This record gives sequence, C-alpha cells and structure tokens, in this order.
Amino acid sequence: MFPRFRHASSSLLRAPRISRTTLPSTIVQSFSRTVVTKHYTKEHELLSYDDTTSLGRLHITKHASKSLGDVVFVELPKVGQEIAQGDSIGAVESVKAASDIYAPVSGTVYEINEALADKPGIMSSDPESTGWLCGIKISKPDELESLLTAEAYENFCEGD
Amino acid sequence: MASRPILFHIFHRPLPYGPTLALQQKVHEFQLQRRRVSPDSHDDVLLLLEHRPVYTAGRRQTEDEVLVESTRLKNIGAEFVATQRGGQTTYHGPGQVVAYPLLDLRRMHLSIAQYICKLQTAMKYHFINTYGIQSVDSDNTGVFLSEDVKLGSIGVQIRHRLTSHGLAYNVTREPLQWFNQVVACGLTGVRAGCIAGATGRDISVPDDLNRFLPIMSRTFGREMININMEQDGQLQELIRDLEADADRGGPWPAAPISPISS
Repeated sequence: MFPRFRHASSSLLRAPRISRTTLPSTIVQSFSRTVVTKHYTKEHELLSYDDTTSLGRLHITKHASKSLGDVVFVELPKVGQEIAQGDSIGAVESVKAASDIYAPVSGTVYEINEALADKPGIMSSDPESTGWLCGIKISKPDELESLLTAEAYENFCEGD
Repeated sequence: MASRPILFHIFHRPLPYGPTLALQQKVHEFQLQRRRVSPDSHDDVLLLLEHRPVYTAGRRQTEDEVLVESTRLKNIGAEFVATQRGGQTTYHGPGQVVAYPLLDLRRMHLSIAQYICKLQTAMKYHFINTYGIQSVDSDNTGVFLSEDVKLGSIGVQIRHRLTSHGLAYNVTREPLQWFNQVVACGLTGVRAGCIAGATGRDISVPDDLNRFLPIMSRTFGREMININMEQDGQLQELIRDLEADADRGGPWPAAPISPISS
C-alpha cells in the first residue's frame, strides 16, 4: 500500500522543467499515487526520488548539518550541469570549514535552491526539507541500488 | 576510537605554496584509496611548516574578486593562490607557523564543528600555557588578542571526512607588514598580531614548534610520531621532493615591495 504523497510541502509533483526560470507559483496537483523514496549516502546526503518523473532532490542529512555547525555559505552546481555519481558538485561552508558535496547518482541538475544564496542558515535549521540543495534529473536509476535505506544509514551513523 | 599515532614532519625551510598543496592532495588521495580497501589502514599526518610569502583565497571568493587582488599582490613580491578551503583571504610567510593536520574525522568520531573547535583550542591553549598570552573571546573563528588584533587563523577543507589545510599563527613580526596589505579573513579594521609582539620576546619558529607539537598531541588525544625519513615510503618521497623544491627556491623578499604605507 503506497502512502499518498503530501502535495503541499514538495514541488516534486510539478511537471519536470529544465528551464532556468523561477518556480511556478502553483503546484500541479496529481491524483495518481506516486512513490517518493528516500536514499542516503555515506557522505551524509539524502536523495528524495520520485520514480514517475525520474527527478531527485538532494539534501544533506540532519546528521551532517549537526556535524557542520552554522552554515554560512553554500556553493551549488549550475542548472544544466551534467554530473556523474561520486563527482564533487559543490560545497557547504560552515565557519572556516568547506565540506565538499558529492553527487549520489548521475544525471543533470535541473534546479537549484536559490533561497540558499540569501539564507544559507536553512541548511542548518531545516536540511531535509526547505534547505534542499538541488534537483537532479536522474539518468541511471540503477545507481539508486547502491545507496542506503534509512535504516542502513542510521546504523552507519551510529558508527560515525 | 582511533588510537593509532599521528605521523608528523617539521619542515626546516619555508615551502612554496603550490607544491605543498600538491603534497596535501597526494596524501588525501592515499588516505582515500587505502580507506576504501580497509577502514583503518591509512595514517593520519600532521605537517608543520612555514611558507614563502603567499596570499591565499578561500573557495567562497569569486574569480573576479580574486583576479584584481592577485595582480596587486603579486606585484608586491608574494604569490597568490586561490584554494578550496573555507575562510577568506589570508597571508602565509616566514615567521608564521602553519599546521596542516591531514586527519580522518570519521575514524576519530569528530564532527566538523568539533574539529574546528579543537584547532582553535590548541592555539589558545598554546598561547596561554607557553607564553602567558590570554586571548579574548570572539564571535569570529580564530584566536584574537583583542577585538581588533588577530593572532591565529583557521581555514579547512573536508572531503569524505578527510581534512586538509588547517591553522596558522604569527610568531615573529615578519608577517605583519604583509598582512597590512590586505583585509585578511574579511575582517575590516582587524590587524594581525604576533607572539613576539604580545610577549616582547624574540621567539623563533623552530622553538615555538617544539612547544606546539605536544599541545596538538594533548588536544587531539593522540601520540605524535616523527616520520622516519631514513625509511623508504611514499610519504617520505613526497616530503623529500618538497624539501628539494624549497631548497631550490633561493631567497624571498623580507618585506612587501613598494607596499601601501600603513
């Protein structure tokens, strides 16, 4: 039984766009049941993936944001940038420490979170929701199998 | 909990920045490769050194910003290198201790914020215990003698929880004129201080390093072992090459050439 997706808090239901214009002001409602799955990495990143659109949204995890401390600057990839799994695609700078961000899967960056330019602090306060980094149009969905489930990630963090 | 010792090396001649950065990169790559094979087979390394006069920028600074500054600063006799570390423009040169801890934070179970805190603590502890210099609390990261005098700086890069770059603090007065040519660390109105100025004593960098090393050991809770240069190894080879590079460098300007009068 798939959970009904929550419309209000995510823009993953929008029709996929590669353009550089700002986000639409209305969210397209879908009555089809979609599955958004969460995948984690050992680099403390979270990818929320919608398999009907092949769109993923990248975050750092709460564990990572606690490790970093206050975020003062975020360096993001460019819209349209092609990325391969494992590539360094930007960095999160907390006080005096720049920590690289890695692509969890291959694809093309189709949007970036412009809010981070003025308010990098949302990565500290709300990393797994409004502090998202970028949207990736995934080119190799098989790569998701190499990522961790929430449970496996929790176990990994215990040893971290 | 990691209890293996940290391997350290103290360099005895001021090093050119670019090749030192290349050495850090190679150590990072060894660590990453070895860790992929076996989680505990790689060594943590600590490099202690001075640089030849160089200004460096952090990754936040844009290409345009960097281009204007780099032209100006090269004209006064320093190098200029844009880096991928956190933090903003700073100066390194003779008379200033630079420490590059190349450590695995995951193995030490240290968060990034805790690591930065330890670097700051190590410097503060060194200043008070070795010299009786009391630093003041500041909202800015680094070690301050007063609201407008900065003694020690931190700028770090973390990739796959492996650290590079590190910390720096001024021992002699030699770095100060160079610092006066820039707004270091993005802090307008703040100038650089040094241990010699704060104590009224002439301290040499080698003497200072002998006192700093045990403090780093205590702060990180790790034994420090000198890299055995008699042995053959990849690390020894990299160090030897860098030292040869430094020897070939010849003299460096003792002061900025035709600087802005301060």
